[in-house]
Amino acid sequence: MRIIACATVAEELIHMGFPQEHMKVLDFALHVEPQKLRQRLQEEIDNTEGDCDIILGYGKCSNALEGLSSRTHKLIVPRVEDCIAIFLGSQEEYLRVQREEPGTYYLTKGWVIAQGNALEEYSRILEKYGEYRARRVVGAIFANYKRIVLINTGNYELDESRRFASEMAAFLGLALEEIEGSRRLLKKMIKGQWDDEFILVDKGLPVSFY
Amino acid sequence: MGDYTEKIEKAVSDLELESISGLIGEALEGGVDPLEILRGMSAGMTKVGELFERGEYFLADLVLAGEVMKEGVKVLEPHLKPESMGAKGTVVICTVKGDIHDIGKNLVGTMLSSAGFKVIDLGVDVHEDRIVDAVREHDARGIGLSALLTSMVDSIGDVVKALERAELRDKVKIAIGGACTTEELARRMRVDALGREAVEAVKIFESFMAS
Repeated sequence: MRIIACATVAEELIHMGFPQEHMKVLDFALHVEPQKLRQRLQEEIDNTEGDCDIILGYGKCSNALEGLSSRTHKLIVPRVEDCIAIFLGSQEEYLRVQREEPGTYYLTKGWVIAQGNALEEYSRILEKYGEYRARRVVGAIFANYKRIVLINTGNYELDESRRFASEMAAFLGLALEEIEGSRRLLKKMIKGQWDDEFILVDKGLPVSFY
Repeated sequence: MGDYTEKIEKAVSDLELESISGLIGEALEGGVDPLEILRGMSAGMTKVGELFERGEYFLADLVLAGEVMKEGVKVLEPHLKPESMGAKGTVVICTVKGDIHDIGKNLVGTMLSSAGFKVIDLGVDVHEDRIVDAVREHDARGIGLSALLTSMVDSIGDVVKALERAELRDKVKIAIGGACTTEELARRMRVDALGREAVEAVKIFESFMAS
C-alpha cells in the first residue's frame, strides 16, 4: 500500500504511525489550483512502482481528482469533499458544521504549518505593496468569515496550534472555537477498511465522484 | 482624452490602489466621458486577467485588482447616467447558499457593471428564495451564481428548481462560475453557461440578453 497525500493529511497519518517511506507528500498550496494539483497527482501515480494499491489522501478538492487513473495500480479515495471532512471523521459531520456557519475557516496542525506559508505570502505582499494594500487584500479575502475553528484530531499536542489560531483570530477579528475531530476515516483509510465511504477505482478506470 | 483612458487602464493593471481615485477625478474634471473611463478600467482588468493566466500575477494581485476597481467605481458611479449604467439589462449575482467565497463573484460584478449592466449583488450564502424575489422585483434576465465549495453545488440546483416553481425559469438565463464548477456540472444542474474567468462574464451575459 502506498499513500499520496496532501501535507495536511500526511501530518495526521505520520502521527498515527504510517511509515513515511510509503508516503508521498504533496504541497498544500496546490489545492488552490485544481488543474495543477491533478497534474501533480497523476505524475506521482505514474511514478509509483511495485504491485500495490495507492490511497489518495484527498477528497474532491475542487474536482482536482476527477479523471485520475492508473493502468498499474488500484486507486482508493475517501468519498469526501476535502481534508476537513477527513479531520472531522465523516462527510456528514463536515456538512453539519459547514451549514451551521458557512463563514468558517478551519485549522488543524497541518493547516497551521501550511498557514505559516500563507503568512510568508502575506509578508511577500507586505514587502511588495506596503501595509495599506496588504491589509486591503487580507480584508477582502477574509471579508465573509465569521469564525476560526481549530479541529482537535487528538493526534498531537495542540498548544502551538492554539497559539497560532488565537493570534490569527485576533488579527482578523474573528471568533475562535475548538472542536473535537475524529481519526475514524484516517484509521479506515490506512487499515484498508474501504467501504462505501471510499471510492475504489480499478486499474485503467478514471476516478469519478459522480 | 485618450491619454487618460490609457493612464487609467495602466493604473488598474499596475494595481495602483492609492492613485486610482485621484486619476479618475482628474479625468472627470478634464471632461473625459465617464463611459470612456469605465472602458479604460475594464481594459485594465482584462490585462490583469491575462497576467494572472500567464502566472505573472498571483491570487493576491487579483484581489488587489478587485479593490482598485472598487475604488474607481466609487468615484465614477455618481457621474454615470443611470441609463448608461443599466443599458445592457439587469442581472442578479451572488455566491450560493452555504458558501461565502466572493472574490470571483465581486470581480464579475465589477466587470458587468463596468460593461453597462445593472448588477443586483445579493452577497454570499444566499437562499434560492431571495434570488427568485430579486429576479421578480428587478425584472432581471440573467443570473450569475458563484460556488467554490464542491459540497455546496447542490445549492445551484436548488436555485434552478425554485425558479421553475416560480415559473420564472424561461424568463432568465443562468451562468455559473467558481473553482468547483465544470461543463459537466453546468449540464447536470441544467444551467445555461459556465464562465472560467471573470472577464468572460461580460460576453456570456451579453449573449443572454441577445437571445
